[in-house]
Amino acid sequence: MSTTNPQSDAPTDATGRPVDRARVRRRSKQRRRIANVAGLMASLVLTGSLYSVLAPAQAADDTTSESAAEAAGRELYERSCITCHGENLEGEVNRGPSLIGVGEASVYFQVHTGRMPLVRQEAQAPDKPTIFSDEEIDQLMAYVQANGGGPTLPSGNLRDGDLAEGGELFRLNCASCHNFVGEGGALSSGKLAPSLKDTTDLELYTAMLTGPENMPVFGDNQLTPEEKRSVINYIQTVKFQADPGGAGIGRIGPVAEGLVIWVVGIGALMFGIFWMGSKA
Amino acid sequence: MSTHDTRPGSAGGADTPGPLHGGPDEDYTPEQLAAMSREDLDMLGARYDGVEILHVDPGPEPGSRMEKRAVRQVGWTFAGAGIAALLFLVVYAGSGWFLPEWNWATEGTTWSAMFNPLLGLFMGLAFTLAGVGLVLYTKKLLPHETAVQDKHDGSHFDRVTTGATLVGGLHNSGLQRRKLLTRSLGFMGAAFGLMLIAPLGGMIKNPNKGNPLGRTNWAEGVRLLRDNGTPIRPGDQQPGSLETVFPAVPGGNLQSDAATMLIRLRPEQLAADRPKEGQEEFGYGDYVAYSKICTHAGCPVSLYEQETSRILCPCHQSQFDVTQGAKPVFGPATRSLPQLPITVDDEGYFVARSDYIEAVGPTYWNRERI
Amino acid sequence: MAATATAPGAPTSRLGKAATEFDDRLIVAGPVRRTLNKVFPDHWSFLLGEIALYAFIIALLSGTYLTFFFDASMTEVPYEGEYDPLRGTEMSAAYASALDLSFDVRGGLFMRQMHHWAALLFVAAIVVHLLRIFFTGAFRRPRESNWLIGVVMLVLSLLMGVTGYTLPDDLLSGTGLRIISAILLSIPVIGTWAHFAIFNGDFVGTEIIGRFYIAHVLIFPAILLGLIAVHLLILVKQKHTQFPGPGRTEHNVVGNRLFPTFAGKATGLLLVCFGVVSALAGLVQINPIWLWGPYNPAQVSAASQPDWYIGFLDGSTRIFPAWDINLPGDYTIPALFWPTVVVAGAMFTVLALYPMIERKVTGDTASHHLLQRPRDVPVRTSLGVMALTFYFWLMLAGGNDVIADKFDISLNAMTWIGRIGVIVLPPIAYTLTYRICLGLQQHDREVLEHGIETGVIRRLPHGEFIEVHQPLGPVDEHGHGQLAYGGAPVPKRMNHVGGARRAIRGFFTPIESPAAVELEQQRDGRELAAGETTRELTGSGRPSDGGRPSDGGRPQDARD
Repeated sequence: MSTTNPQSDAPTDATGRPVDRARVRRRSKQRRRIANVAGLMASLVLTGSLYSVLAPAQAADDTTSESAAEAAGRELYERSCITCHGENLEGEVNRGPSLIGVGEASVYFQVHTGRMPLVRQEAQAPDKPTIFSDEEIDQLMAYVQANGGGPTLPSGNLRDGDLAEGGELFRLNCASCHNFVGEGGALSSGKLAPSLKDTTDLELYTAMLTGPENMPVFGDNQLTPEEKRSVINYIQTVKFQADPGGAGIGRIGPVAEGLVIWVVGIGALMFGIFWMGSKA
Repeated sequence: MSTHDTRPGSAGGADTPGPLHGGPDEDYTPEQLAAMSREDLDMLGARYDGVEILHVDPGPEPGSRMEKRAVRQVGWTFAGAGIAALLFLVVYAGSGWFLPEWNWATEGTTWSAMFNPLLGLFMGLAFTLAGVGLVLYTKKLLPHETAVQDKHDGSHFDRVTTGATLVGGLHNSGLQRRKLLTRSLGFMGAAFGLMLIAPLGGMIKNPNKGNPLGRTNWAEGVRLLRDNGTPIRPGDQQPGSLETVFPAVPGGNLQSDAATMLIRLRPEQLAADRPKEGQEEFGYGDYVAYSKICTHAGCPVSLYEQETSRILCPCHQSQFDVTQGAKPVFGPATRSLPQLPITVDDEGYFVARSDYIEAVGPTYWNRERI
Repeated sequence: MAATATAPGAPTSRLGKAATEFDDRLIVAGPVRRTLNKVFPDHWSFLLGEIALYAFIIALLSGTYLTFFFDASMTEVPYEGEYDPLRGTEMSAAYASALDLSFDVRGGLFMRQMHHWAALLFVAAIVVHLLRIFFTGAFRRPRESNWLIGVVMLVLSLLMGVTGYTLPDDLLSGTGLRIISAILLSIPVIGTWAHFAIFNGDFVGTEIIGRFYIAHVLIFPAILLGLIAVHLLILVKQKHTQFPGPGRTEHNVVGNRLFPTFAGKATGLLLVCFGVVSALAGLVQINPIWLWGPYNPAQVSAASQPDWYIGFLDGSTRIFPAWDINLPGDYTIPALFWPTVVVAGAMFTVLALYPMIERKVTGDTASHHLLQRPRDVPVRTSLGVMALTFYFWLMLAGGNDVIADKFDISLNAMTWIGRIGVIVLPPIAYTLTYRICLGLQQHDREVLEHGIETGVIRRLPHGEFIEVHQPLGPVDEHGHGQLAYGGAPVPKRMNHVGGARRAIRGFFTPIESPAAVELEQQRDGRELAAGETTRELTGSGRPSDGGRPSDGGRPQDARD
């Protein structure tokens, strides 16, 4: 775990950590700070340019100047989403939330994991096979993004973060619901934190960024883009890593192990002693 | 034999063995025994141990097809066990020598993931085959005998004589008469007992001194830090988010009772927020901070459902409602999660306004008193 | 035999001479002969305790190996080992050494997994052994002391498990430790004092791993070893119980002598136990601590569970209602106290005292060496099944989040299922078991009275159809058997009494067709006396055509 505290920056902090480690850590923190600033600048530039692209269009006329993608997205929206989310993304009481400001990241997550469109109202939207093509998802994203903005999709390699730091962040922020290794777990009253087994990098990223349904939001000021990449790196690395000890039995720990010792262990030995007790 | 031998330098009588101490050695002379066959001797010994061999099913006829088949079976099983043991050695010692490296790596060579399973496979096979071979041997090649052994109840003679010896000793000690002795012995025993367990007193610590259970490192003006040590501004979190925060003291993020959840409520949650009485001012804007340590068994509660405002504890499924002062709404927990009063300092970072006003963590006997 | 000048019968072979030299010094020939001649009854269920013993031996050996590498210290160190997803992470030295043991010691992971599987097997085998003892009444006088020792060993094995589970100091075990701490705190009056004595202060401190380590590797195993020795000595002294059967009485033991048959089988079982545990250790991953991460009091994972044998306490804690008891003077008895300390304490106390309770209630103070069939003691059997249901239901409740997750059931519903089930199911289990026991008893009597149902339907001259019954022994003038029930299994199928010439033979492919059996016999060249015992018991010969339901009242013509 990264245990440094800013108040204890002095080399001889309470836990007696070696000086050079603290220095390395401080340097990496400096690097992170620089990265933070760079990220902030980049996002500012991005926002600015996006604004300059979108603002005049919105200022002119909404209906006429929307791009082809947005138009196609609107069509899809009116076909599949409008019943619950309303005519102008404003949401319908007891049916669906407003989509103004949720951003393309949210659209990507909800639609790409097949959660949206919803089949029926339940405790929680289950993930299903995606019904839209990638192109259609892009169109929907463009439409929603154009109407209210919001978190956007990240770019680049989503796994270039620090593995160990990602693990630490994962255990602190994610494991409580999604389990040590992303097996998922039950939440109250029929809801559940889904397994991360089949989740893609981008889905992980957008989920953290937008906090779908009951998942808390991890905004970029709370969990920086680099930290998000670290978490993704950790999840995906551990997910695909082999089990050095043999069959993983679901990696869910004692419950599966108890089952194995009773069924396989005691089972095999009972079989053995039956055989020993049987007549030759 | 007399024990009173007064001759100087004497070892006490003639140095010859006494008579045999009774039993079988008197019944059977060495000559008689030498004349008996091995089977008879076996039976004889068994009889002395209260065992009677009722019935012997001889093993297979020597040289018969049945014997050959059984010998083959057992032989091959043992050989298989030996081969498996050798294979274990090959895998164990050969990895990194003429076999690939066994060391595990994230990118993982196939061999490193197979090393442990192969060890288990071969050792498991070796042991199991050896055991199976042995059982096959007893079942197929040894004669089957049915033996009966007598089971004796306690002997009345033994009881009476032992009792006499015991009581005699006690009587001779005169402890029944010498009351002073028994009393002083009893006193000594008790004192010794206490003396021997006294060093365990070193383990005792007063849990009420300085109220370690009721206090945390939170105090007025202590900043709320993330796990990586950065402070937090009100703008940092999105509505519907949760951050685990620690007090800005050395080692703050390793303390077992200081972990706190800083939650930014969504507008709908804020509208529905009904804080505990007297704690309406503990939040800051749409931020509230609650202890992360479950009031039931102390697990970190952080399964936060931002839509239903519930916090679930993964250990025993207590559920707390954030908009009702983190009151328990389901499960075995009885108390609300304590709320940390927060505000913002001059530089715009979150700080605590004081320590928790109640003890965090699991309930204990005198929690309400401190 | 070569002529010698020594006494007749003196050994001539080398080995014999050596043995004589040995006995000259130690005088062990007598005790050794008595040991070798000791008779052990032969029944599969008598081997269950041995499995527990062997699992303990495996755990002891593998655990000793682990101590060469494990460092029971809570000092924070950065991890520098082979496993890169954790490299650079700060962790306790205990966790780091457990990781090094798994990744940097050749075969270390194998030994660690073997240790853990052996521990799980140890407790499981104890439980199965205990059930055998309970349901057959083997705890009755004079064996109450061994029952008590057994229960103490069960508790000790749980303590061994709990302390061992804690040692690696990973996130899962730390969560367990946190709950142990809360349980200690929940004890009225002395809770905080006990906690501070054991943890040397508030949770988590820096001492607890070291203290649990010494308890786990020295204190508990030493006590266990001593108790195992006493347990076995008493067993040898009292001689093993046996099931009723031909020639078996309260005053003898029928079976095999220790040497060589019993010793061969027991050693075989030892080896098979080693085999099963080492196969599991290699092929099935257990407690992958590297996935759990180091312990941090602010972190937790969904589905954090204890090992199976503590699961029932976790379950009782999960389903217990939120009932703090507030006493005058601002004292509190926490809700956590009841489902943990009280439930566990009550369960083990009742278990330990059961022989005395049964003796008191039934007034049966006689010595018993013959076992009972569970059906013949319906109340005890039903009580046992009731307790098992209770235990099993609590254990299920301990995994209710995993069940909720995997089977898509509401977690809150699972809690309520647990709460209702734990009250409703045990009485139902009691009633059902009681009925089943009575039914089985009745069927035994019926077979003894009327004979085995042969499945042959016969038409009587006046048109009535009857099923032909094979009496097990001589019959009276009403066609009723005169055999009394002897507490032993009653043959219920024709081939149990040799109706198919010989009882079922062959383990994997039972041979039941007479032709195949005959062929087999010819090949073997000799008759194996399988099924001999049952025949002796019933004294019945070949099947005959007689036998009919009692209401017929027609005299039998004795044709056999």
